[in-house]
Amino acid sequence: MKRISPNRPGRYWILLWMLVLPIGMYGQSELEPVTRTYALTNVNIVQAPGRKIDLGTVLVKDGLIISVGKNVSIPPEAMIIRADSMYVYAGFIDGLSRTGVTRPKEETNRERPKDPGNPSNERAGITPNTDVRNLLNPSDKAIEDWRGAGFTLANVVPYGGMLPGQAALILLSGRTADDLVMQTNTGLYSELTGASGVYPNTVIGVMAKWRDLYRKAVNSKNYEALYASNRNGLERPMSDRVYEPFFPVIDQKIPVIFKAEKLLDVQRVLTLKNDLRFPLILAEVKEGWHAIPKIKATGSKVFLSLDLPEEIKKEEKKNDQKTEEKPKTPGEIEKEQLEKRRNEAIASYTAQAATFQKAGIVFGFSLLNTKPKDVHTNLRRMISAGLSEDAALAALTTSPAQLLGMSDRVGTIDPGKMANLVVSDKPFFSEKAKIRYVFVDGVLTKLEVKENKKTDASVKSEIEGTWNTTTQSPQGTTTGKVVFKKEGGGYSGNISSSMSQETMALKDITLEGNTLSYKYTLSFGGRSVEVETNVTIEGDSFKGNTSVGTFGSFPIEGSKNPK
Amino acid sequence: MKKMIILVFLMEAIGTLQAQDRGTILIKGGTVLTVTKGTLENTDVLIKEGKISQIAKGIIAPAGVRVIDATGLFVMPGIIDAHSHIALDAINEGTNAITPEVHVADAINPFEVDIYRALAGGCTVSHAMHGSANSIGGQCQTIKHRYGVYDGEQLKMEGAARTIKFALGENPTGHGRRDGVQPQTRMGVEFVIREAFSEGKEYMEAWNSYNKQKSGKGFRGAPPVYSLRLETLADILKGNIIIHCHSYRADEINMLMNVCRDFGIKKVVFQHTNEGFKVAPELAKFGAMASVFADWWAYKLEVYYSTAYNAAILARNGVVTSINSDSPDLIRHLYHEAGKTQKYGNLSDDEALSMITINAAKQLGIENRVGSLEVGKDGDVAIFKNHPLSIYGVPQMTLVDGVVHFDREKDAADMRIMVDPKETVDIPTIHQATTHNHENCMQNMEWLLNVKMFGLNR
Amino acid sequence: MKKIIYILLVMSVCSEMLAQGLKAKTGVFALTHATIETITQGTITDGTLVITNGKIQAVGTNVTVPSGAVIIDCKGLRIYPGMIDGGTRIGLLEIGQIPQATDQRETGDVIPQMKALSAVNPNSVVIPVTRVSGVTTVITAPDGGLFPGQAALINLHGYTPDQMFTGFEAVVLNFPSSGKRGFFDRRTDEEVKRDSEKALKLLNDVWDKATQYHKLDSATRGKGVSYYPELQSLVPVVRGEKALMVEVNAAKDILAALKWVSERKIKRVIFSGVSEGWRVASDIVKANIPVVTGPVISIPTRDYDRYDQAYANAGMMKKAGVKVALRTLQTENVRNLPYHAGYAAAYGGLSKEDALRAITIVPAEIFGVNQQLGSIEVGKSATLFVCDGDPFETRTQVKQVFIDGWQIPMTSRQTELYEEFLNREPGVSKN
Repeated sequence: MKRISPNRPGRYWILLWMLVLPIGMYGQSELEPVTRTYALTNVNIVQAPGRKIDLGTVLVKDGLIISVGKNVSIPPEAMIIRADSMYVYAGFIDGLSRTGVTRPKEETNRERPKDPGNPSNERAGITPNTDVRNLLNPSDKAIEDWRGAGFTLANVVPYGGMLPGQAALILLSGRTADDLVMQTNTGLYSELTGASGVYPNTVIGVMAKWRDLYRKAVNSKNYEALYASNRNGLERPMSDRVYEPFFPVIDQKIPVIFKAEKLLDVQRVLTLKNDLRFPLILAEVKEGWHAIPKIKATGSKVFLSLDLPEEIKKEEKKNDQKTEEKPKTPGEIEKEQLEKRRNEAIASYTAQAATFQKAGIVFGFSLLNTKPKDVHTNLRRMISAGLSEDAALAALTTSPAQLLGMSDRVGTIDPGKMANLVVSDKPFFSEKAKIRYVFVDGVLTKLEVKENKKTDASVKSEIEGTWNTTTQSPQGTTTGKVVFKKEGGGYSGNISSSMSQETMALKDITLEGNTLSYKYTLSFGGRSVEVETNVTIEGDSFKGNTSVGTFGSFPIEGSKNPK
Repeated sequence: MKKMIILVFLMEAIGTLQAQDRGTILIKGGTVLTVTKGTLENTDVLIKEGKISQIAKGIIAPAGVRVIDATGLFVMPGIIDAHSHIALDAINEGTNAITPEVHVADAINPFEVDIYRALAGGCTVSHAMHGSANSIGGQCQTIKHRYGVYDGEQLKMEGAARTIKFALGENPTGHGRRDGVQPQTRMGVEFVIREAFSEGKEYMEAWNSYNKQKSGKGFRGAPPVYSLRLETLADILKGNIIIHCHSYRADEINMLMNVCRDFGIKKVVFQHTNEGFKVAPELAKFGAMASVFADWWAYKLEVYYSTAYNAAILARNGVVTSINSDSPDLIRHLYHEAGKTQKYGNLSDDEALSMITINAAKQLGIENRVGSLEVGKDGDVAIFKNHPLSIYGVPQMTLVDGVVHFDREKDAADMRIMVDPKETVDIPTIHQATTHNHENCMQNMEWLLNVKMFGLNR
Repeated sequence: MKKIIYILLVMSVCSEMLAQGLKAKTGVFALTHATIETITQGTITDGTLVITNGKIQAVGTNVTVPSGAVIIDCKGLRIYPGMIDGGTRIGLLEIGQIPQATDQRETGDVIPQMKALSAVNPNSVVIPVTRVSGVTTVITAPDGGLFPGQAALINLHGYTPDQMFTGFEAVVLNFPSSGKRGFFDRRTDEEVKRDSEKALKLLNDVWDKATQYHKLDSATRGKGVSYYPELQSLVPVVRGEKALMVEVNAAKDILAALKWVSERKIKRVIFSGVSEGWRVASDIVKANIPVVTGPVISIPTRDYDRYDQAYANAGMMKKAGVKVALRTLQTENVRNLPYHAGYAAAYGGLSKEDALRAITIVPAEIFGVNQQLGSIEVGKSATLFVCDGDPFETRTQVKQVFIDGWQIPMTSRQTELYEEFLNREPGVSKN
């Protein structure tokens, strides 16, 4: 990235600048940064899993790590960040998501297709030639959100059907789409997703079509080679944009990145790989531990999902005086057994990463179905279930770098590597650790820290009543009405919105001081989506954001209805 | 939390154990219904490493081998269902009239509890089929009910013949009518099939010609375009795949025999074929086989003129006939369905039992492996309290490859292998209408059927 | 002279046979040397049963055969009362996939005034197919929304619905369901819950109105109310004159329904379906509500239920003290009713006798027709069948069927097809 270096005023002037500029800016400002040299001082440096330097300095310049260690000389133009006793790690790497990728417009009123057996490639979801670079939106809020969770690179793919297009590795910071791109065509992305209403519609159709396309591509490639060697006397090869993206895969140069969440998906994708022999990265694997032998045998690479099923909180047993043992009814016994099985299932999911670690498989994490605010919690759950902290860190840094062929440039804090760093105030995997700084390609983001609970007791906001809300989303402005009622020790409530006629019950309403959060389920068209709203209350109004499933996060404002 | 990991590993270990399992076991003192070689009182069956090694009186158990006391019980071959859709995540790729390239094996789901329930009905093998929305549908998979495995591959019956689903009549023409394409009539169905076969023939000839030429010196040329679809059609023409054709009316059954004759195809099994009895002599002459319902009828116009005596009439006219379920309910009591051929047509015990054992095995090309209790065959056995054709016949144990996969006394109620971590524990599904769950054949096609979501009698 | 008599005899026999082929016959019949299962009064061996004027005139071992009676030798055979199926769509549904041939579901959520009886097709092909297997009497019920109409108990013989009608009708209530409805139900858990709450609200609304209507109607002796067919057809239920047949299956719903009928003080209630009745049997017993359950041969309601839970349901309820009758909920295979009973016996701990009762006297009592049907007793309707073995066994053949004293021809389209095609002529070659 080329930038025009500003004139270099003396140190005195830099300090003045720093006082004038707003401290605590969140994200990119319109102004260029003052300097491209930073020194993180007095910081615990976790260069890589198992390699640590206590209280040293990291010097960053022009997007690269210059020096790392205890006795690092700091040049005069460096902006010093006193990271006293904080912890710095290599920036985290996401193996698969759609961060920064524009979602295509929802097609409403789709006509019933004529001749569904022979759809266009677009309609069938077969668009392997789509380059995600053409779909990048640097102002997508998700980029900022993920950066705030410590991620510096994301391997992103287009939306689509079974073959949405080509992946690219992007930096989670940049002003233009080109700024974002670090590596093009990191893989050919695929899902076992059928097309609605046309061929191929089911998983068996998709699998058959995959084989057909691949073998056609092999033939096409071979023929093109034959033709190129001597064109005389041969029919011209048919140019087909759908086959060409397969050529580097056939040459084993780039992998197929296949989303495979459930065990059966993983097994089906592995079957396809065995049939066609393409290099494979399995991504967003949620339920893969039973397939470990096959994954090993095929040499497939893996990105595990960071998403975990919700833990079921045990009902608190009321401490009654009478603790007589009533004989359990068959219904109660059955319910207990069912809950036990469900909890075992949840435990297996949580232990997946640990299981892969024990099996000696190098894996990264993919963020496709995770929310930024759940990353830390989920990692801690995985660690409780047996994943070592070193393995967790590796899965966030060195392993994805290795799997994506980027080990020479990112993944550790070593001189010469990219300045992708994340600084947390405590060891990252400890319970209350918060990320304070993130460097992406040498560009600094400082994160706001929410005010602590010192002011808790004094400011107890009153939420009972009716609130009118407005939410901004790509759909435009939607209004809603939220009603809270005191119930038991907490609150109950419901919400209705201008989008649907229904009133939904709220759950998980938590009010801490003036921070309010609540959840509800939106149902439409047979699908249901979890919505979560987090706001800060100020008197009779609140502000914050509401996130709708994996669709994104939108700003919301509310004002209390006086009654 | 280490406990969790151990649990996980344990579960995986059990899974692999059961999969590779070929059991050695002795079943002692039962009434052995061999189906093909008569009934043997008070006889033992020894299974060694998954194969029946001996059937005789007074077999002494080898050291360390488990003995099942079958005194007073009936021992019959594991039941075979020639038409089923259990253990599949997808059944109908109904978007095109011809889809032979798809294979239901790509959608096997070994976790469906229906598999266990089939075992609880003495059924050890089923023919997992593609649906009937297409004139030429997808390839089917014969599976063994090795319930407990985590990998669908391990359910596939190794060495089973390749099979494919065809469909005639109202189902495929309904597809055409809704999408404005052929076929919309029975005339169209014939044409669509002939066209597919003809194109398959051309494809086969083009590739044969290319392959011959390309080894020639100095040959440079473009190969014919590859097509998995046409390749599969060519395989049918070569006789490598048995056609299982969903059909009802006499005229269309006749039609397919004529088409097959024209293209030199000999291996055909007609499925459901409610009017098969009306062309029984023709079926027998062609050598086609039939797999029918015991008594379903009247749910559609094309089955309105059928009779429960169908199976008996076909059998008496020399057609190899089996009784199938096409339903996750019926697969659990095929022995009861077979019993109905005694009410409707007075078939003998062995004739009735053949319909759910050896005849079905013939139709799936696996009669060398299963379908009767004979030395050398697979150790697939169902043990009954009371005769299987009696209404009071209750399966006690079912073995696949000599491994006990169902034990009425010992099995827990909850036999699910994997549990959804997100499930709500309390919402049941009320199966109010077991009237002809023909919806099974049209699964995945809800968007086509515009079915009202009431799930009740249609 | 002898020749003429002979010819006349042959002619009369021939015409009799021809007539017997298609038409039912009434008159005086004596079924002799039979094993008679009376259901209520034990088994009679080598008994005789006399039918006169549509009724059982005499049953026993020392019965005099009236002169002129048609004697049917039942040596080695058994006689049972006609089987009663507590839930079918016979006569309403002809071909499920053809809308023009289905009449069991009218549009509208609250339409209790729709009478299934009026729409029964007495000439449905299904009827002969069913009755030759010994099922003589069935409930035929409408289906659809909250109050889909009125079910009726009909005998499977008669040329008009009125001729078939036994006198019992009930208003059907599809109690709001918190369960999913089968494979095609793709609603989310939230949607299921919401739909059921909406339906419950509607139910309470309707019942409030019906109660008001009844009070107004009583107070004004029918003069102060206007035409309101929906409420008018509910009034007899409010007054306890007509039964309410509540279709309810999930355990939670059964409890909710028990609570609801108790709160609303509904006097005559029958619960139908009750697939999860075994989970809440003691509650059903406490409420003293009779149950019509089935189909017995069905898949369990939950993935984690024991595989034979549906078979065992009826027996488990009976053991707990519930009054249980069976139904097939079929149309074209109602003939399988005895096999459902057989499964309930084999798996559910129901004795063979109780299983038989569940398809004869128990439904007769539940539907209030036990004066005429449900057992072999003098004075009851001659609605019975003769067979050559245990009626639950598939190899048993039914030889004779009588409905209201009419001897039913033992033919149906299915037997006719058998006769035509067993040895088809011409065979393969046309010559």
